[in-house]
Amino acid sequence: MILAQGTLLPDSQLSQVLSGLEGEIDRTRASQALSAEVVIQTCARLLDRLDRGELDGLLAQYATPQILEALARYRALLRPESLRYKLSAELGDLADGPLSRPFGRALAVPLGTLLHITAGNLDGLPAFSALEGLLTGNVNLLKLPSGDPGLSLTLLHLLTQAEPRIAPFLYAFSIPSRDTPSLQALAELADGIVTWGGEEAIRAVRAMAPPGCKLIEWGHRLSFVYLSGTAQPWELAALARHITETGGLLCSSCQVVFLDTEDSDEALALCHSLLPALEQAALARHTTPGQAAQATLYGYEHFLEQSLRHTGAQVLRGRGCSVTLCPDRELELSPLYGNVLVKCLPRAELFSALRRQRGRLQTAGLICPPEQRAELVALLARAGVTRITAAGDLSHPFLGENHDGEFPLRRYVRMVDVEESPE
Amino acid sequence: MLSRQQLFWHRDPYDLPGSDGLFLRAVRDNCAYHMAHCPAYRSLAQALSFSPDQLSTMDDLARVPLLPTLFYKRHALFSMPPRRMAMRVTSSGTSGKFSQIGFDWGCIFAEIPMVLRLGWIHRLISPVPAHCVVLGYRPNRHNRTGVTRTMFGLTFFSPPLSRTYALHYQDGEYVPDLDRVVRALDRLGRSRFPTRIVGFPSYLWFGLKRMEELGLSVRLPRGSRIHLVGGWKQHYAQQVDKPVLYDLVWRVLGIPEEHIHESFGAVEHPIFFNTCPRHHFHIPIYSRVLIRDVNTLEPLPMGEVGLVNLISPLIQATPTTSVMTDDLGYLTPGEACGCGIRSPYLTILGRVGLSDIQTCAAGAAERLGKGDAF
Repeated sequence: MILAQGTLLPDSQLSQVLSGLEGEIDRTRASQALSAEVVIQTCARLLDRLDRGELDGLLAQYATPQILEALARYRALLRPESLRYKLSAELGDLADGPLSRPFGRALAVPLGTLLHITAGNLDGLPAFSALEGLLTGNVNLLKLPSGDPGLSLTLLHLLTQAEPRIAPFLYAFSIPSRDTPSLQALAELADGIVTWGGEEAIRAVRAMAPPGCKLIEWGHRLSFVYLSGTAQPWELAALARHITETGGLLCSSCQVVFLDTEDSDEALALCHSLLPALEQAALARHTTPGQAAQATLYGYEHFLEQSLRHTGAQVLRGRGCSVTLCPDRELELSPLYGNVLVKCLPRAELFSALRRQRGRLQTAGLICPPEQRAELVALLARAGVTRITAAGDLSHPFLGENHDGEFPLRRYVRMVDVEESPE
Repeated sequence: MLSRQQLFWHRDPYDLPGSDGLFLRAVRDNCAYHMAHCPAYRSLAQALSFSPDQLSTMDDLARVPLLPTLFYKRHALFSMPPRRMAMRVTSSGTSGKFSQIGFDWGCIFAEIPMVLRLGWIHRLISPVPAHCVVLGYRPNRHNRTGVTRTMFGLTFFSPPLSRTYALHYQDGEYVPDLDRVVRALDRLGRSRFPTRIVGFPSYLWFGLKRMEELGLSVRLPRGSRIHLVGGWKQHYAQQVDKPVLYDLVWRVLGIPEEHIHESFGAVEHPIFFNTCPRHHFHIPIYSRVLIRDVNTLEPLPMGEVGLVNLISPLIQATPTTSVMTDDLGYLTPGEACGCGIRSPYLTILGRVGLSDIQTCAAGAAERLGKGDAF
């Protein structure tokens, strides 16, 4: 399906829509502006409808447990006061209108036309990406992920129905990734391409982007916990809950617990105290035998891999989870699903170990004595992480947070300086 | 490796107690062979502190190095050079990755009596020629999947007069053509010879629904049979209860429930499991099934739900002696069935985990076999 100007059209009309698209977008951009407040109010109306149960039918049709979980996690961020806070946090003074300059004024205007290439890795992500584009007044073209069950298109259609002024600023296409000519045609119209996805997807988009088009890339990331000193039992419990709840699948999920020590006995002791916490969290998390089986299979398979490759890693296998003490110091993907890696990384080596993963770092959960916190925060920040949180909060969304070290809304606007002769 | 042939040529295919000794000896020989010829398997066995001489009772089978199907997708393990193998077969790779399993000549020689005996006991073999409708892949040299070969093989249980396929190879991919099958069934309803339908249950379901929509129904000649192979795969969400499917088959094709037969196997465990007249998969002597605790992988007592572990000494080209599937299931004592077969039967409840895994952790999509296309 295609969403164009608020209307849902069959895929068979793709070439027709594409051929008239440039003219349509030009007319919209030349004559209209979309204010952030209109978008904020529309979101508020949709949230109200959600609260009144009017969208329950829709949720019943599309909602997987992951969607409901994501909705619960991000709902607060869609409220009017949160969106207004996001605008002011990310755009600063620019959100309030022109800035005065010695030569006259400086204006922030929309970047123009944004093409969003959204991967199917998170439900509702296409709609979220479009929302950021709309908040900054851009015309948004979305290439929906190939596996999208229709949720994104329905959400976007709801937005245009709730507020017809949004309709000319929103287009969505279910173009398969192999239809390069159509994607190329969309890319030619874009002032910026927003890509969500792994390295393969990002490379493919870079090859397609016309020169002069701004590339905004939200790639996949790795996160970890850094532990210096002794962890309190409640900190280990919070960390264990985080590990089992996210299954290692999020950009912000802890993959490795790094310890500020060289002493492998101390590290092994930590593994032995983390394992029961993890078992308890896994027991609470795995409500079906299938979930427990999946965690156990991934852990067991990881154990076999280590034995086969003679890595020297010690795998402590628990009930529905595992902790592996690895001899190396690299940040890497964990075996997922409640199976976590533990490695020694004295703080003197922290910087260089993390630098080897530059461009892939995201959140560091920090456990340390209060008097050392400032020093470690500074070190982690210098090494390239973009969020530093408490032990169990790695995946909590924060109001006004950056996205992989940047403010997305800043990237979706462009500055215009206007010279004005003094009166 | 006489012990394997002795097991597979044993007279009664459901006499588990009578074959325990043969089975244990064959497994011991099989493990010893793989440890001597496959360095990776030897490493794993050593890591698990296993040696074949630990196998003295049937309970010891739980100690045989247990390899998950996922492991075969990441590692191609072989215990002999390719020139000594009869063939190499792959799993269907629904999740994007597939396993490669080698088949040696001794394995094929051992499968012959197994298939003939079970085919005879389950009344699959008939001298009356039949038209075959295959609701699966048309064989092609680009296709090495086990299920394609199995379905093709099953068309020989009676002399095949013709074969119509639901999936055709065109321009590098398989394209379904259910309408062709519907036309063929319509035509075969008027034939003097019975029809044999072999295929995936999902395709049978979709094909019959399509016929019902079109208002078509045929009465296939007496002696017509349906042989379902393989699971619902990517159509898991549409899986229907067996009685609903049987009812639809009777309405649309006129084939009674007792002529609907099901078998399963996996490339990693190519044992010919068949349903009895009461639609239960009793364990044949060539295999032993352990149900493992989902948290600890320890063997569970009869009746409890856990991960299905399939054990067989059939293959020498690849160490598949003890394979951990990602299916959940349970065992029931054979006597509870009432069909007369006394060996316990296996009920598969479904695949572990969510089919739709979503991730933005770097490298996780590749690890989960999802690929990273946008």
